[in-house]
Amino acid sequence: MKIRNYTLLLVILGMFSVVPFIFAQDTADDAEEAQKVAAGKEVYEKSCAHCHGTEGRGDGSAAENLLPQPRDFTRGLYKIRSTESGQLPTDQDMFDIITEGMPGTSMPEWETALDAKERWQVVAYIKTFYEGFKESETPPKEISLKGKIPYSKESIEIGKELYTQFACYECHGDVGRGDGTSAPTLTDEWDYKSWPANLHQNWNYRGGNDIDDIYKRFVGGIAGSAMPMFEDPAFGLSIEEAKRYTQLDNKGEMTAAEEEEYTQLEDKMANAFEILDLINAGEGDEEQRKFYEESMKTFYEKSWHLANYVKSLSPEKRPEAAIGKNALRSQYVEGELPPMDDAAWDTLKESYFPLVGQIIVEPRQFNPTIDSVSVKSFYNDTEVAFLFIWDDRTHNTSEEENEDTGKTYEDAMAIQFPVKIPKGPTSPKPYFLWGGKLAVYLWQWQASAPQEITELTAKGINNATVQDVQTDIQTDSEYTNGQYRLWVKRPLETGDNKDLQLKPGVFVPIAFSVWDGANGDVETKRVISSWYSFVLEPVPSVKRFIYPPIVALLSLGLLIGLRGFVQRRNTE
Amino acid sequence: MKTKMFAYLALLIACGFSLIVLADNHEEEDMNKLVFPKAYTAGSVANGGKISGVVKFDGEVPEKKKLVINKDQAVCDAVPKFDESLVVGDGNVLKNTIVYLMDITKGKDFDKDAKLELDQKDCRFDPHVQIVPVGAVLTVLNSDKATHNVHIFGTKKNNTSVNKQQPKTRKKMRLSREGVAKAPEGPVEVKCDIHGWMKAWIAYVPHPYFAVTNEKGEFTLENVPPGTYKLGYWHEVCGTNNKEPVAVKVEAGGELKQDFTLKIKESK
Repeated sequence: MKIRNYTLLLVILGMFSVVPFIFAQDTADDAEEAQKVAAGKEVYEKSCAHCHGTEGRGDGSAAENLLPQPRDFTRGLYKIRSTESGQLPTDQDMFDIITEGMPGTSMPEWETALDAKERWQVVAYIKTFYEGFKESETPPKEISLKGKIPYSKESIEIGKELYTQFACYECHGDVGRGDGTSAPTLTDEWDYKSWPANLHQNWNYRGGNDIDDIYKRFVGGIAGSAMPMFEDPAFGLSIEEAKRYTQLDNKGEMTAAEEEEYTQLEDKMANAFEILDLINAGEGDEEQRKFYEESMKTFYEKSWHLANYVKSLSPEKRPEAAIGKNALRSQYVEGELPPMDDAAWDTLKESYFPLVGQIIVEPRQFNPTIDSVSVKSFYNDTEVAFLFIWDDRTHNTSEEENEDTGKTYEDAMAIQFPVKIPKGPTSPKPYFLWGGKLAVYLWQWQASAPQEITELTAKGINNATVQDVQTDIQTDSEYTNGQYRLWVKRPLETGDNKDLQLKPGVFVPIAFSVWDGANGDVETKRVISSWYSFVLEPVPSVKRFIYPPIVALLSLGLLIGLRGFVQRRNTE
Repeated sequence: MKTKMFAYLALLIACGFSLIVLADNHEEEDMNKLVFPKAYTAGSVANGGKISGVVKFDGEVPEKKKLVINKDQAVCDAVPKFDESLVVGDGNVLKNTIVYLMDITKGKDFDKDAKLELDQKDCRFDPHVQIVPVGAVLTVLNSDKATHNVHIFGTKKNNTSVNKQQPKTRKKMRLSREGVAKAPEGPVEVKCDIHGWMKAWIAYVPHPYFAVTNEKGEFTLENVPPGTYKLGYWHEVCGTNNKEPVAVKVEAGGELKQDFTLKIKESK
């Protein structure tokens, strides 16, 4: 009796434990896969679950503060794929993302922390979170890179035209800084705020920035995000015809002949879209299929041009930070310093100051939207002028209080210097977060008062006071196409011992704080830099044109004298 | 001996229970979704009954909220647009409520001639709430001189989400590949990301006993085979009655009235 009972129990328990393995052990391959999954689970729980959650829902303990949010694996939506729209990623896609990470997000590269075998195991395990991987028998269809058009000036020009035709500007803005009119309202499918990419900063692209990567994002879309899958808006038209159509479309009044041409082109597209619908539904005859294939070829061609144009918007690589040979060197000019719009500024190279979210003091900014600030500077005998340039997708001057928080969110910038310049490179500088025991001197600018700079003295991030005596600092600023330009001019010496006094040839620490109102930046929630330094590049002394010739002349004289002396001695 | 057996049994039940609890961890979300039968067989219905009624709103009717049109004003702001999450008509009647049978497993087939169209006109989705049979092809229209993108948030496995740009040059787009649902689900959200205020809902359903209330708050479910059913509703801001569906008994050839009064669902 007793034994029977146990047997029953064992059978029941056994059934429970065996069920998951029955299918897995069909073949040796499956057994190997199961092993891989089990190993992947271990790695996943150790390295991935903090953010992505033990059940793969993207809800790990660290997820709360992250934006973009960690991927929820249970929906099978993967942003970065080499496969067509609506398809799952390939294993290689997933492996690559784990290996390389996602720039501009909290997803780090795992190449150093996990070996290749472990990364493949994680891929196998992540796939178990979504049943679609098991059920799809055919492998996902990869985007073909056939017919790639080489990068050239001509192709970029065509791509630029297509950028408008494809309505990329709606989100990415007229010149591509991610400042399109739809940008402020974009969210992902989980209702989290998402921003369109700034195409001028391609080092922040999530899925790589070479031309093939960019092409794949057009053709395949970015699943779960607002970035749609594209179809040719002028399907069935050649590049020339499409250009003509846009021309006519933008024309206020058309002649009768133009009207007819316009209607013809419209009909041609309507007809082409109908064929596209038929083919997508698996219908259509031989001829229609041929037409479809031809038109798709043109679409892919257009997409390559567009990819080339988008590639051309960013520098070849991320600029190097403003240290060493890239440090900010203010250039001497005689006479008036150039105003903000003067072409003289174009002759200077920008110094690039990368910015990061402030995460030391509450409230923190874990999800910065401002990448960097670029700076140029001129000075003369009495004054210095700076031009600060930074990209911000939205222009927020709102002085209205937010109903929930009672705070105002606007764009702002602060430039930070020490009050007293450290004597040498090893002498202590004030604490980089707006000073501490040693005070800092600040220029505070706000978008709601674009022609004003306020001087502050601070001894801590929450301990800043407006100076009683305000130096006459001239300011000018503008916001166009997703970019701020702030021009500031100040005397080198102010006679106020709370201000920084400047002399050529002396390296001066400098640091930045930038606020993006649309990203909830306020008070300590902002992006910051640590200390960098700049110098008023000393004017090469005129003495170098006087002394060397004198020395040369003297040496020559000496030589001649010596020669004469020797000759005289020899004749004697 | 017996006590031991009971102990094992209790252990097993506990194990099973904990499994159920684990599986139902995300029940909260599903309370806002429709309930579908496990299977449905379509056929001819003889002497079916009719369920009809009016859905009313109970509570202070909030003022109509005009949508902020922040772009493409020439096309999008010609006709004033209001938030459609709660449309209450004269006599507190409630539009855009789905009323349906939760547990019907046998009945009529879908009306094969019904037009399945979602229009984008004046930068607004029309209709705001739509029923689409599983496996059916939805046609999306663009009646505007503006670029839209149709973004349908499929969430169930195999109902992949759709996000396709629809340029102004493309008046008609059949979502025959991506947009076809393989499983019942919903309602799922539809959005145009380009025009952030544009929102709609689609319910992918396995049987035809679904109705959306009109301006007068009316709904009708026709040709229902005689029997007892659970009558459910869904509304965008009033939620569902998934916890307490109404039991209705349909007589052969009978007509049954069932009204509902809905309140704004309490936020958690």
